[in-house]
Amino acid sequence: MATNSAGSNDPTVNRRQTKRPKYSKFTQQELPACKPILTPQAVISAFLIVTAIFIPIGVASLIASRDVVEIVDRYEAACVPSNWTDKIAYIQSGADKTCKRELHVEKRMKSPIYVYYQLDNFYQNHRRYVKSRNDEQLRDAGKGNSTSGCDPESNVDGVPIVPCGLIAWSMFNDTYSFSRNNNNVTVNKKGISWKSDRDHKFGSDVFPKNFQNGTIKGGASLNETIPLSQQEDLIVWMRTAALPTFRKLYGKIEVDLEKGDVINVVLQNNYNTYSFSGKKKLVLSTTSWLGGKNDFLGIAYLSVGGLSFFLAMAFAIVYFVKPRQLGDPSYLSWNRNAAGQ
Amino acid sequence: MMKGWDGIQSSVSSSSRSSSTINNRVPSQSVRLGRVQPQAPTFRTIFCNDREANLPVRFKGNSISTTKYNFFTFLPKGLFEQFRRVANLYFLSISILSTTPISPVSPITNVLPLSLVLLVSLIKEAFEDWKRFQNDMSINNKKVDVLQDQRWESMSWKKLQVGDIIKVKQDGFFPADLLFLASTNADGVCYIETANLDGETNLKIRKALEKTWDYLTPEKASEFKGEIQCEQPNNSLYTFTGNLLIQKQTLPLSPNQILLRGCSLRNTEYIVGVVLFTGQETKVMMNSMNVPSKRSTLERKLDKLILALFATLFMMCFIGAIGSAIFVNKKYFYLHLDSSEEGSAQFNPKNRFVVFVLTMFTLITLYSTIIPISLYVSIEMIKFIQSTQFINKDLGMYHNESNTAALARTSNLNEELGQVEYIFSDKTGTLTRNLMEFFKCSIGAEVYGNGVTEIERGLAERNGMKIEENRSPNAVQEKGFNFDDARLMRGAWRNEPNPDACKEFFRCLAICHTVLPEGDEKSPEMIKYQAASPDEAALVIAAKHFGFFFYRRTPTTIYVRESHVEKMGKVQDISYEILNVLEFNSTRKRQSVVCRYPDGRLVLYCKGADTVIYERLSDSNNDIKKITREYLEQFGSSGLRTLCLAYRELHPNVYESWNEKFIQAKSSLQDREKKLDEVAELIENDLILIGSTAIEDKLQEGVPRCIETLQRAGIKIWVLTGDKIETAINIAYACSLINNDMKQFVISSETDAIREVEDRGDQVEIARFIKDEVKRELKKCLEEAQSYFLTVSGPKLALVIDGKCLMYALDPSLRVMLLNLSLNCHAVVCCRVSPLQKAQVTSMVKKGAKKITLSIGDGANDVSMIQAAHVGVGISGMEGMQAVMASDFAIAQFRYLEDLLLVHGRWSYLRICKVVIYFFYKNLTFTLTQFWFTFQTGFSGQRFYDDWFQSLYNVIFTALPVIIVGLFDKVAHSLQQFLISGC
Repeated sequence: MATNSAGSNDPTVNRRQTKRPKYSKFTQQELPACKPILTPQAVISAFLIVTAIFIPIGVASLIASRDVVEIVDRYEAACVPSNWTDKIAYIQSGADKTCKRELHVEKRMKSPIYVYYQLDNFYQNHRRYVKSRNDEQLRDAGKGNSTSGCDPESNVDGVPIVPCGLIAWSMFNDTYSFSRNNNNVTVNKKGISWKSDRDHKFGSDVFPKNFQNGTIKGGASLNETIPLSQQEDLIVWMRTAALPTFRKLYGKIEVDLEKGDVINVVLQNNYNTYSFSGKKKLVLSTTSWLGGKNDFLGIAYLSVGGLSFFLAMAFAIVYFVKPRQLGDPSYLSWNRNAAGQ
Repeated sequence: MMKGWDGIQSSVSSSSRSSSTINNRVPSQSVRLGRVQPQAPTFRTIFCNDREANLPVRFKGNSISTTKYNFFTFLPKGLFEQFRRVANLYFLSISILSTTPISPVSPITNVLPLSLVLLVSLIKEAFEDWKRFQNDMSINNKKVDVLQDQRWESMSWKKLQVGDIIKVKQDGFFPADLLFLASTNADGVCYIETANLDGETNLKIRKALEKTWDYLTPEKASEFKGEIQCEQPNNSLYTFTGNLLIQKQTLPLSPNQILLRGCSLRNTEYIVGVVLFTGQETKVMMNSMNVPSKRSTLERKLDKLILALFATLFMMCFIGAIGSAIFVNKKYFYLHLDSSEEGSAQFNPKNRFVVFVLTMFTLITLYSTIIPISLYVSIEMIKFIQSTQFINKDLGMYHNESNTAALARTSNLNEELGQVEYIFSDKTGTLTRNLMEFFKCSIGAEVYGNGVTEIERGLAERNGMKIEENRSPNAVQEKGFNFDDARLMRGAWRNEPNPDACKEFFRCLAICHTVLPEGDEKSPEMIKYQAASPDEAALVIAAKHFGFFFYRRTPTTIYVRESHVEKMGKVQDISYEILNVLEFNSTRKRQSVVCRYPDGRLVLYCKGADTVIYERLSDSNNDIKKITREYLEQFGSSGLRTLCLAYRELHPNVYESWNEKFIQAKSSLQDREKKLDEVAELIENDLILIGSTAIEDKLQEGVPRCIETLQRAGIKIWVLTGDKIETAINIAYACSLINNDMKQFVISSETDAIREVEDRGDQVEIARFIKDEVKRELKKCLEEAQSYFLTVSGPKLALVIDGKCLMYALDPSLRVMLLNLSLNCHAVVCCRVSPLQKAQVTSMVKKGAKKITLSIGDGANDVSMIQAAHVGVGISGMEGMQAVMASDFAIAQFRYLEDLLLVHGRWSYLRICKVVIYFFYKNLTFTLTQFWFTFQTGFSGQRFYDDWFQSLYNVIFTALPVIIVGLFDKVAHSLQQFLISGC
């Protein structure tokens, strides 16, 4: 470098060398680039291709969704005896909560049939609720005393609660039993939770302790002799739902249900959703390759496909009825203005 | 003594005023002498070769540091710089917020992207600073010979002190600003190259005072005990005032004895000098500070958009917080909202206002991603690559002949180039080549030179005529000389009607200049002239071809090999003693030399612009004056640059008395320039006109085509030139800025009415009259312009205005009218404008029209205009670098403007806009989902994304696509396609 540091580039140094920049496609901005030219043919065929792909997918997913048989039974209103006008008082009372429901199978349901309970207006995703748990405590028997983040359900009279926190405390505790023609239909409650949760998040040597011993009972009680990793209802409940209306898996029925079957459900209507006017629903559902019953995907595909078909047709009509030269600069706004002057 | 106190009175009272805030109620006028700090005197005294004597003053050392940081200040200072950006500061506060329990996200979400952004910026800063540091170190450790104990000791630069006597060898760089004492060349001259300072590559001559010529050897130099009084360090490269006190004599010092740091020694074995200013106090270092940086319009708009985002953010938080305050209710028993444990205040329905406020903060933390944190960093990166890789390396903008590539001196303004609507162009050297060729001249009443200029040819073609050029076969053509007239060549001038005038003419050309010859003085062909401007060189070359060969210059003498006055074919060497040089500057617009012939005759030769020369002519010879004026107009309309030559015989007595005043002015410490100008005024009168010269400056290659293209792209081009109105109009025709289909409005001060008033000489009257005249003209033109504007296909309009009228038209009362008129014009030509007016016109359009402006120029007179415009472009690779130093982009030829604006500017603009929109889009989609989710979670502010995903979304996951769009996105493949599709 030359002496002068102030002037950034020094003409004396390279005076005799050429300063010609080296050629490269990058610096000369000659890298291959493509810009689709939106000719009528290209646009119309592009829309037609979209139509051709989207409509079948839409039809297929709609069929799959329609194949799923789903029985939904809303029971929280009907399961309050008519002599109780105050539903909240009823649910908080010690009265018998047994409730009988009948479900009619409209279509053959192939096993496995999933049994869900669906809650509504229940904010499991509330920030206060979501963080009210202690993962260490759930995983590790030695960390039974760590209840940070669990307030106000962290301990009772100074003794820590396992599992602590609002989530566990407010666990759903309605129970269902099913029968068909007076034959019991067994509900398999094993394997309804995530395997990773059972293996890693909930300890096999962690047992419930001091649970639901507070002044107010929030929900279900737990059997203190069964380790948390086997309390699958808890594990399912603790995986909080993202939206305020959600279904959680209750169990699986592993026999087929035939068309015309009448399922008698005996349920214990224990859980209080009356305070916040939430609905409770019992759901029986089969699955397809696309999962549960959900028409949205199929409808979305069909509408996009339909729209592109409509556009393709519209452009085609315009193209054949009133064609114009491609890339005619006289149509550009400034040219039009100049002409108009 | 008391006088001295008067001098510093003002500064004293101001310092006491500032201290009055501490000592309450000290009357601001009272001067407490006891408390006053010793003020720096207005000059510094240096004892040469005497380190002890200089010690008390504590001059700064010679080590320089251009680094911004040092090891300890890097982190605090660097971080401070970073947090001056609002976005960074915002994220810092969000990060702090996110460590509190009200935050829905873990601190990492905001800390990580912020630290990544800071890390990248700091690494860049550190890297640049490290390079500067290494550069400094290598400079500071260079070796130089310093006189110690009668010997030259090698010492590193940083150890130099003020007052040291040093030796600099050939091709060496000067380590500090030096006072030149002695050189190995005869007559105490040395040659220096100032390329590092101003980029000018021609050698400059410096001359030591005669008294100090002998201090060349170490033995002799150690006897040198002088005292130097000189100005305090300042950044003016071309001025210096000081005195040398030696052997009880006071000798004036001028820039001629100063060797500036950054220059290098040429053609001289070695020189000896005294260190005057060191390190940071050298002129070159004082010059390197505080270049005002321009911000692009888009960037300023971006700030507004960011503000809009902030407003959106605030609205979202407000809605969410209100929702939260409404939502909280005891009925959601599973949330235990009524409990009173620590941190539950945020959801306690008993105090909904607290809920509102706290949730507001929560949501601000949650939605912080709406502000694109990496936006500025990414844009900076994109622009940097665009300018260093695309603009600087564009082969289409590389000029082979001058070996110059385009240079983006700032990467801030790439996209500004694509929005330019007005171009202000200088003429000389920008539209033209600045290759001056002696083309025509007039001596006495005769005009010589048969050439036809491009402009004349163009004019003739427009008029449907064809010009036959009949060049004599043996016409000499050399760089700088394109003159063809047998009447003057090869001594034929002796047979002309007025050979004496010819002789004076040629001598004036050969003597009155500051050119340096280089090379073999035996042969006229081998010699090269080093001149400050190509005009000067062209004139000296012309003299050479006329038989007056200037071949050697010493500081006091000019040697000219003249063809014999009497006998043809013989030559004689004549030495003219140069007594005084009254130098050229832009206010004087002339240059004079007082010389003594070998026979003792004293003559002042003067050359300069016609206006200044005519003012100073004696009253006789009115015929020649009149006819020469006609010739000048002729030359001007052919697009030639004209100068008038004049001389004056001096009586020795007159000269002696004047010379005393001159020496006095020369040795004054303050306002030396002004005093010299005043003294020069005294002798530069009663001149006798010899004739005039006309120099051709050819149009640069491709200029008309480029201008046409730019005009088709909707850019309006204004030419601002110092030339005469005729020259300017002709150049405008030649480069197809104006054509015959255009309606021209000419507002000129060269009308009979104005001249008549001017002759009366009453300044107030003149001003009033011209102003009224200009107002009337403007009004007339404006009305006409508007009437054309209303018609369907009116002609395109062009405005030509000269400097004097412009001065009045720029007056606030007329400015609006001028602006209205000129904005309606397709092309505007301003002639005879001063550098200041160029800047005024530029900023008038910049502020008045609110359009993006670009100034392009090549010389020092364009600097103010370049700085005033949104984008300044300098023409590089020619003489002078001052315009380039002030510019934002430097290109070698005017025609590259086409590529610069229509390719690089356009693409950068489109790309950067796309990048900004892309950024906003990706951050909005990211944040609006979050906003939607807030409604689903009871407005509690639960996060939708994983912490890591949110923290890396901006800085990693979506960083590359944006940058790729910013670099590679193309709209059309090339300029041609753009032109086809765009116009």
